[in-house]
Amino acid sequence: MYSDQHLRVSDAERQAVSGQLAEHFAAGRLDQAEFDDRVGRAMSAKTRGDLRELFADLSETGAPAGPELPRGDGGTQGGGPHGPGSPIEFRLDAASGVPTYLQLVHQVEHALRLGYLTLGDQLPKVRDVVASLAINPNTVLKAYKELETKGLTAGRPGQGTFIQATLSQVALPELAGLRKALLGWLVAADGAGLDEDGMVALFTSALRDFHERRSGSRTRGGAASSETEGVA
Amino acid sequence: MTALTMPARPEQDASLRPVPWRRMAWVTWRQHRFALAGVAALLGALAAWLWLEGLHAHHAYAVAADCHPASSGACGNLVGYFLTYVSTAQTIAIVLQAVPALIGAFVGAPVLAREMETGTFRYAWTQGFGRWRWTLAKLVPLAIAVAAAAGAFSVLFSWYYQPFLTQTVSFNFQVPLDSGLFDLRGVAFAAWTLAAFAIGALAGMLIRRVVTALAATLAVYTGLALAVGLYLREHYLTPLLVKNASPPASAWVIGQQWYARGGQPVSQSTLGQVLQTAPQLAGGKGGIPQDDPTVNQYLVQHGYTLWTTYQPGSRFWPFQWIEGGWLLALSVLLIAATVWLVRRRAA
Amino acid sequence: MNVVEASGLGKRYGGTWALRECTLAIPAGHVAALVGPNGAGKTTLLNLAVGLAAPSAGAVTVLGGRPAGSPAALDGIGFVAQDTPLYKNLSVADMLHVTRNLNRRFDQPYAQARLAELGIPLKRKAGKLSGGQQAQLALTLALARRPRLLVLDEPVAMLDPIARHDFMALVLTATVDDGVSVLLSSHVLTELERVADYLILLSRGRVQMAGEVDDLLASHRVLTGPAAEAGRYAERPVVHVRRGEAQAHLLVRAGPDDPVPPGWEAHPVGLEELALAYLREPGAAALPGPARGQALPLDTGEPSEVTR
Repeated sequence: MYSDQHLRVSDAERQAVSGQLAEHFAAGRLDQAEFDDRVGRAMSAKTRGDLRELFADLSETGAPAGPELPRGDGGTQGGGPHGPGSPIEFRLDAASGVPTYLQLVHQVEHALRLGYLTLGDQLPKVRDVVASLAINPNTVLKAYKELETKGLTAGRPGQGTFIQATLSQVALPELAGLRKALLGWLVAADGAGLDEDGMVALFTSALRDFHERRSGSRTRGGAASSETEGVA
Repeated sequence: MTALTMPARPEQDASLRPVPWRRMAWVTWRQHRFALAGVAALLGALAAWLWLEGLHAHHAYAVAADCHPASSGACGNLVGYFLTYVSTAQTIAIVLQAVPALIGAFVGAPVLAREMETGTFRYAWTQGFGRWRWTLAKLVPLAIAVAAAAGAFSVLFSWYYQPFLTQTVSFNFQVPLDSGLFDLRGVAFAAWTLAAFAIGALAGMLIRRVVTALAATLAVYTGLALAVGLYLREHYLTPLLVKNASPPASAWVIGQQWYARGGQPVSQSTLGQVLQTAPQLAGGKGGIPQDDPTVNQYLVQHGYTLWTTYQPGSRFWPFQWIEGGWLLALSVLLIAATVWLVRRRAA
Repeated sequence: MNVVEASGLGKRYGGTWALRECTLAIPAGHVAALVGPNGAGKTTLLNLAVGLAAPSAGAVTVLGGRPAGSPAALDGIGFVAQDTPLYKNLSVADMLHVTRNLNRRFDQPYAQARLAELGIPLKRKAGKLSGGQQAQLALTLALARRPRLLVLDEPVAMLDPIARHDFMALVLTATVDDGVSVLLSSHVLTELERVADYLILLSRGRVQMAGEVDDLLASHRVLTGPAAEAGRYAERPVVHVRRGEAQAHLLVRAGPDDPVPPGWEAHPVGLEELALAYLREPGAAALPGPARGQALPLDTGEPSEVTR
């Protein structure tokens, strides 16, 4: 499709590809050995063709045939490197209990991680989202504003909203180390008598705590303590 | 909270000129064209029939009238032939009494009743045109249309009936002011149609159901027509009186009463007894022959006085204007009341 | 600008008040949902707003102070009544013609394009269209008038899920394209969460709750804790209590910054849960006013130690 197989790649592009490989690894499509191998090849890749090879057997998940790397000019009007329009399409899970705008935010982040979206891509136009999902436009605007606050997107007046950053990539050794620590914690929790649902509940509660602490709101530890109460 | 931006609108609504009246013309036509077509079909069919029948009747009359000598058997036959058209004419006059009521009911009642019954007033009255203007823009053109059609028709009818009203060949059996004929000619037919329409419109607004409003319109119209024909019309102008003589030709006799010498009214039975003394004049068991000059002369000679109340034939047109006038005023009032109700009405 | 403003609005039919003491100020640029059980007065309120009914008490103005039912108001409001009234024996094209003639503004190309998109044939009689198509036609006619406010009375009650989706998609894209404000009524809550950003809750002819959805949700929480302690909070701004043997849930008026009592858990509330709770408590009301936005303390006189 692309005749740019021979073009040289930058460090940013290598990092982006590593991140995408990490997503596939977390999803279970690659095992540890394959993952290590491919990341190594990504870091030493010279051309776009090299990078594209790494995803050759991952495309049946629906990911593009290769990472569609940003063109030099960053995309002209109406869409980014994937051509006119947005590469992604939103969906809505009405029963999930998660607020609509958050679902949209998560879907964008998820798409970024998996490579459906890259730098310069355009998010679906507000009107198109409204027409296909029948949701309030303010919800879409809220989601896009949230993404902008997170620094992931930027709005271009008259044109739309575009991806301007990828999600921060964790360096490879740290990722492996975190995984190992997590496995250790799981073993300990199992030894303490927690079942899998209990582990998920504990993790979710701690995550919420962490989030609230990080965004500065106060919860007087009641949530965490009653979680352990409830579980025991 | 981000509010949606409102794009600038090219049109300004600072000057809110109302939607022009003429826009309703197409709407009224489109919504009521079947009713109007029905009226046209009804009047058209009747008119066609009247035209054909009328040509024959006119011809027969002309032939009979030109026949000389008038007393000969041959001329008598022609007269007899003409008179065969009379019963048809009388029948058609009775049938046509119903036409204004039918037109008024079927065109007038559904205008508002159907909108209320089907709920489409919730659409019509929330458009920019405005509800009372919408009502007026519907009722006035429809009223004019039905009245004009009826008026044209009654001209044709007058032409048709003309031979039966003359005094030469006919036996003067009907006069223009007669109740069954007066309201079919002149301006009365159009006025009655207009009034029926106005009654229908108001009934439709009050009753809000098409069939019920239709029935109510017919009932009210019938009551009104009967009241006017039997009681009111006689008194538009003070009736004239004539004593012991026949009223002039083409007069509309309202009443006749015999009085005794002292001035008291005398009953028919008393008169019957008086006539017993001259059996050759009695016309059957206890019956008094009406308008029999010899009988009248006999009773007068015996001291009785006959007073005849009548309206002269010359008052035909004044009565037409009077009747047409108050029916027009009534129609305007009823339509105004309908519009006022529309303005006021709560959902 | 407020698209609908009512003060002390009331409507009586015979001896019964269908709507009482209704005071509202619905801001422009929103999709406002009017919810409540059947018979709560929703249709009455909408009829008053579009001028189909006259108030028995109070007053209502629209689009920044225009009296409801006045020519200026009629001009700026597109209304679709319940059961989408149309002239059944007129063709679709005729309905366009009629609407065009009855209004100052009518965007014929827009209407024809929309109907073509929806696959509604112009020659067919309106009465022969399916329920969903009739609703779409009525909506297209209202939108083609380019109103500032679109008022819909139970627009999707009779529609199947696909027709419902398509209908609301048309309404919402109109808000994006033209900046139309929307006021719609429904007795079904579940789908309104996605669609509405302003909520008015009517119950038994009175307004129980009115405000921006985000504000309403942010100012309420469910506190879950020991049933034995639930009574302690009876005087707090508790809206609704649900209790089991050991556990109780209190729906309270409190924000995310308000302290949670020890031993209790706080959860955010969904729109349906919030509305149902208010409907079950006729005495409760959450109306925008000076109290909005203030943090309401939940804890006085109790030791604030964290247990465990």
